[in-house]
Amino acid sequence: MNNKISGPWAWCIGCAVSMLILAPRADAALGGTAASVASDRAALSAVHRATTVRGAYTVQELQSGSTTVREYVAASGVVFAVAWNGRTHPDLATLLGSYAGEYRAALRQTPRKRGLRRQQVQSDQVVVEKWGHMRNLQGRAYSPALLPSGVTIDEIR
Amino acid sequence: MKSGNVCLALLALTLAAGCGSGGGSGAGSSTSTSTSTSTGSTTGTTGTTSSTTGTTSAAAGNVLAVTVNGSLCSSSTSDSYPNKPCVSVTVCTPGTATCQTVNDILLDTGSYGLRIFSTALTGVSLTQVASAGGGSLAECAQFGDGSSLWGPVMTADVILGGEDAVQMPIQVVNAGFGTPTGCGTPDDSPAVAGFNGILGVGLFPQDCGAGCANSANNGMYYSVSGTTTTATIASLASQVANPVAMLPVDNNGVIVQLPAVAASGAGSAIGSLILGIGTQANNAPSSVTTYPSDQYAEFLTTYNGASYPSFLDTGSNGLFFPSTSLVSACTVSGFSDWFCPSTTRTLTAVNAGYTGSPSGTVSFSIGNAVTMFNSSYRVFPALGGRMSGGFDWGLPFFLGRNVYVGIDGTTSSLGTGPYWAY
Repeated sequence: MNNKISGPWAWCIGCAVSMLILAPRADAALGGTAASVASDRAALSAVHRATTVRGAYTVQELQSGSTTVREYVAASGVVFAVAWNGRTHPDLATLLGSYAGEYRAALRQTPRKRGLRRQQVQSDQVVVEKWGHMRNLQGRAYSPALLPSGVTIDEIR
Repeated sequence: MKSGNVCLALLALTLAAGCGSGGGSGAGSSTSTSTSTSTGSTTGTTGTTSSTTGTTSAAAGNVLAVTVNGSLCSSSTSDSYPNKPCVSVTVCTPGTATCQTVNDILLDTGSYGLRIFSTALTGVSLTQVASAGGGSLAECAQFGDGSSLWGPVMTADVILGGEDAVQMPIQVVNAGFGTPTGCGTPDDSPAVAGFNGILGVGLFPQDCGAGCANSANNGMYYSVSGTTTTATIASLASQVANPVAMLPVDNNGVIVQLPAVAASGAGSAIGSLILGIGTQANNAPSSVTTYPSDQYAEFLTTYNGASYPSFLDTGSNGLFFPSTSLVSACTVSGFSDWFCPSTTRTLTAVNAGYTGSPSGTVSFSIGNAVTMFNSSYRVFPALGGRMSGGFDWGLPFFLGRNVYVGIDGTTSSLGTGPYWAY
């Protein structure tokens, strides 16, 4: 498996993989292929900072001007979770990929709770949590069904 | 991106970095501005219906009254908003005596800078701050729950308590200003946000700092020219400022002083925000431990065998921390964000400076949120809920304590900021 993808090669690989498997979510992150990390990097104007191998999965860290995003890639090559921290919450339309629509729908059904400085939005296939404070806003998104066996949610941070 | 053609999409992504459009239209709805000439120190406000706890130390010039769900909070924005600490702030047209006192300003140690909805600032005329490129400087301020405030940065004279007026950049919150960018759906009225404004008195002198002075791609500051909005750098002097750090005196931090409240709760509580640490007779520290924080205003909390980054935040209305077997979430529909033990649980955690020392044990209580919300009270010392990845010591932590907030780069007898002390 490719667990270290960076530079211009990433886009070529991304295109190739996308066209080969014709996955509608290949230009996305969550639920997409490892190659989709590279398109997220471009969409977020980020640079690839680090690749960490942690047993059952690999963490790709992307750094933009305002936020650090960590994408969790299973051995199968699927992105099963995304976490972030920084000055802003990142654009989830990019990071959630094909799950963005159901997230938006679930978000509309989640009532605003005054004074609660965290938010959890749960749809059929994805959980999105936000928390933190000014200068260090944080969050994570994951699809419970995609979590590799033996991986706990607490590892996503 | 939703394009079917992946390669084209990728190409487009490399060209159009960080797209993202903003909606947001219309100005605010409800306003509850009081145009009095109050000096900001209310004494002996009494709750109207139920119990009020505490007093404020009145006349001193470096004191602002704080009411938790009391008279300084507007009823139109405070419905379903327990543990809401409010102050009033006076804003003046720069260089003039034309001033307006605005109530229902959330006291927030988790942010930096003064932000007030434009609809609550109708009595003064403020000056637009120019962006580096000559447009109007605007900002998107985001919060932990994903909410955001958008609006121009304007110069105002700000009066805290009985201090002198000080000129500084504030954010005038207005979702209809230009075209909000990179800001999600910004709150467009006090009723939506739950306050007329926010007074951010946390550990830093500006809301962003060096990152926004050095890079245009900072996610916070924008230049607005007509309908065009572009990312921009913002010098430290033009960033929205922590008003305490701008004071000529009493500028090294604040003390948040709130009374203890009975475990069952109270209708409201009255306390004080004291400006300065060890600068006056009324703010000399005694019997406190100083916990240095890192560059994110965070220190460490060890709870149930695990260590978490943590912070003290009057703007969070509960104690939020990772759910464990020790306390369970409410099962009643609509309450799942909160804890609901069948009987109130007393728990302990250890707080420590960000390097691990010093450290001290904190005892705290978590009660049944459904029982609380079904009572007539609004101030709850045992309100809590689950949060992953960190420990957010919200308003209940401050009840019955004097909490010292030491601003980055300043010194007091407690040390050099940034630090928390209590």
